Amino acid sequence: MKRWPALLATLLAALLAALWAAPLATVALPAVADPLPSPLHDEDIPRILAFGPWPPPLKPDPSNRVWDRPEAIAFGRQLFHEPALSANGRIACASCHQAARGFSDGLPRGVGLARGDRNTLALHDLDLQRWFGWDGANDTLWAQSLRPLLDAREMGGSLATVARAVRDAPALRQGYMAAFGEAPGPDDERVAVDVAKALAAWQATLRSGRTPFDQFRDAVARGDRAAAARYPQAAQRGLALFLGRGRCYTCHLGPTFSNGEFHDLGLPHFAEPGRVDPGRHGGIRKLQASRYNLLGSFNDDPARGTATSTAHVALEHRHYGEFKVPSLRNLRFSAPYFHDGSAATLREVLRHYSELNEERLHADGEKLLVPLKLNAQETEDLLAFLDSLNDTQ
Amino acid sequence: MRRLLLASALAGGAAGAWACGESLGAGRHALAGEGWQIAWRAAPSPVPVGKHFALDIALCAPAGQALPAALRVDATMPEHKHGMNYRPSVQPQGAGLYRAEGLMFHMPGRWELVFEWRDGTGAVRRLAQPLTVQ
Repeated sequence: MKRWPALLATLLAALLAALWAAPLATVALPAVADPLPSPLHDEDIPRILAFGPWPPPLKPDPSNRVWDRPEAIAFGRQLFHEPALSANGRIACASCHQAARGFSDGLPRGVGLARGDRNTLALHDLDLQRWFGWDGANDTLWAQSLRPLLDAREMGGSLATVARAVRDAPALRQGYMAAFGEAPGPDDERVAVDVAKALAAWQATLRSGRTPFDQFRDAVARGDRAAAARYPQAAQRGLALFLGRGRCYTCHLGPTFSNGEFHDLGLPHFAEPGRVDPGRHGGIRKLQASRYNLLGSFNDDPARGTATSTAHVALEHRHYGEFKVPSLRNLRFSAPYFHDGSAATLREVLRHYSELNEERLHADGEKLLVPLKLNAQETEDLLAFLDSLNDTQ
Repeated sequence: MRRLLLASALAGGAAGAWACGESLGAGRHALAGEGWQIAWRAAPSPVPVGKHFALDIALCAPAGQALPAALRVDATMPEHKHGMNYRPSVQPQGAGLYRAEGLMFHMPGRWELVFEWRDGTGAVRRLAQPLTVQ
């Protein structure tokens, strides 16, 4: 009998040690047995699970008849690195979308034939996106891929120069024939759109890898305490803040940590002195005027099965100054941040949210945006969480 | 003239023994005000966040009143003071049934789903239902 107190003490110590090692698991225990400063709670679990599973399978694109054709994917990769598509023959897609930088360029704003207004977006998990570009001016990856080929500040070409390059260069001509089963025809626009569709087929395969967060998320899904406990405490606290007081989850949700829509963050609206970047408002106007949107004749899907967003998108004044909610996966590659590249580091991004200038928000802007007033520890915790969204491959 | 009808959602929003919109089946939601009744069912259900959904709607008029030719559907986030980024299209299906497509709740939280139509006098009638999505 005298051994009971010691045994109980040992068991209690073991229990406390186990709880300490697996703070998330404490949510399943009665409150009285939860003396630990676990930052996560029962109500967080569905939201955590909704950030995965990862990676998802490649999402089909019926608007692009070659989206999964291996020859088109190979041709797209070839085209992506092909400077002959540009007006001066020296700029390829890969000039700005550099593989070693997560297919971004590390610059505040992209520089092709001239400096652009916006930060070069990294290229990964593109098949999961609804809108493309910071303003969502395109509704398909192939339409978005056509845009820089024709933009005077980027590659500066035309439908004719793109089509001519494919017809005249033997390697490109051969790639086109393999991808589309026929030689490039006389219709410049048709050939250029096909080039864009091959480019899209390849870019859609750029899937980001699994991250420490994904390991944690899956451990939570399995109820695996030991595996969940390996997720760093700082990242768990950052995640709790992300889901809780920070309300980051309101827009950064789902497997890509983005709702795929557009919001006004109170950033300056000027692309340069005296010239406003209209953001989403301009994007919708461009989308609706485009010959290459999903409602147009270049959509390869007669049923227009993926055109719901395009058919119903609403153009409203509040869209001025809104920019796309980016994915939070692999942010280590995509600095600087924000649509204008105005934040050099993630720490600066967090400072923006912490010290948010509410005067800069539109009068009808997001009322959920308030200065977070993060302390030093909270900033470090959020950075630890965001770092856990970088893949380890 | 605009006349706001307050929604009297049945218990939990589910229709139960509600007569209007029986063809929508179990799990439909119901609203009523000043003799007008609406039943609706989302597809998919429950309503997802960040994805398009559609509504099958049944509108039932008070005795002696005609059904409207058109029904409008919209939604707002009252706390955020904004609506959806998409304008739903509503197609009459006949006999007081309508199909609304193109809706999307792009943020989690409390939304207010609003149904609006004109009665025989031209007055705007409206029924609204709070709906929280996660």
